[in-house]
Amino acid sequence: MISRAKLGDIGAFTTIVEAYYARCLRFARSVLQNPDDAEDMVQDTFVRLYRALPRYEERQKFESWLFQILGNCCRTANSAFRRDAGRTVDDERALERVPSSDLPSAALDNEWGDAVRRALADVPDYNREIFLLHYIEGFSYEEIERMTGVRQSALKMRVKRASDLLRSRLTGKV
Amino acid sequence: MSSSDHDPVLERAIEELERLPAVERAAMERVIAAAAVARVTPADQPVLDELSAVRGWPRAWRIAATLAMVSAAAVVGFMVRGAAPGSTVDAAHQSAAVATAAPTTARAVVQPVTDVPGAAKPVLQQFVFHSARAKRVSVVGDFNQWNPSSAPMVPSAEGTLWSVLVPILPGRHVYAYMVDDSILTLDPTAATARDPDFGTKASVVLVGKP
Repeated sequence: MISRAKLGDIGAFTTIVEAYYARCLRFARSVLQNPDDAEDMVQDTFVRLYRALPRYEERQKFESWLFQILGNCCRTANSAFRRDAGRTVDDERALERVPSSDLPSAALDNEWGDAVRRALADVPDYNREIFLLHYIEGFSYEEIERMTGVRQSALKMRVKRASDLLRSRLTGKV
Repeated sequence: MSSSDHDPVLERAIEELERLPAVERAAMERVIAAAAVARVTPADQPVLDELSAVRGWPRAWRIAATLAMVSAAAVVGFMVRGAAPGSTVDAAHQSAAVATAAPTTARAVVQPVTDVPGAAKPVLQQFVFHSARAKRVSVVGDFNQWNPSSAPMVPSAEGTLWSVLVPILPGRHVYAYMVDDSILTLDPTAATARDPDFGTKASVVLVGKP
């Protein structure tokens, strides 16, 4: 399938998009400072991927390569967001994350989910991305090292810090 | 992942984060359409036509796809003109950047593709690659969206020297040679740079005045 997509076969590329779109969207929504940009970022990633496919070397794991591109896109978007948004917007977003007392019951049902996402948003970008790649997307430290160029010892430390912060936020121990 | 230090709170959080979001079919169609526009090949035309007929597909994408096909056709037409009979390539010029200074034997004529006032005009850049064993060679780069079918190279009579003239906007560009549809090879005579997006190495050419 990937070999066919490398030669420009849109049908084969469509199959790849169908297989990975949901995972990419999940990752982008959790990594981006502005989750509303997630769909655009996933689209940008797949366009870049399709354009770069002729250069893809099949000895590299395809999934790693895809998430490497997605990670680059998200980091670039986060830098731009921080540069453009400024403190005011950050504060507004922080306020949006605070649960309202008059939420409908359906939203209250997912109280735990909201708490997890709020806690995750408090984890610094560089730790959050590695945490998600390892625990949610299932990449080994060895794979993440190849994807990011960061040494495994540093990656483990980042995941530990992200885990500790998540745990403390979710159990109320700050 | 099952390993999270066996911390029940963390495991519940991971379970929550593992939930896949609902995906709209239209969102995936937009991705596929955008990719098709970005790297369109003649073989894709029937699929593009089919996508164009999809109900609800934004008009902007239909226009963009049409523009992409038109521009791709313009590039192909331009290359055909550049490789007119009688053009020959000096075997000593085994560098991709030789045409920057208007090669004496390639009879390349710098022609604008567009006459829009103020717009940067593409110039013909000659790429030359030496290989005695290759069956097919094409040049791929940021100027043709790394599309291996965009700029196929033509072998010399002896079959060892492959060349092509490509219209490229002035500036710094990265490229490589695609040999036999599968082997990506850097230009041994050109400088290399790391692609910021993909982390792989590519050859560098400066076209016209950067």
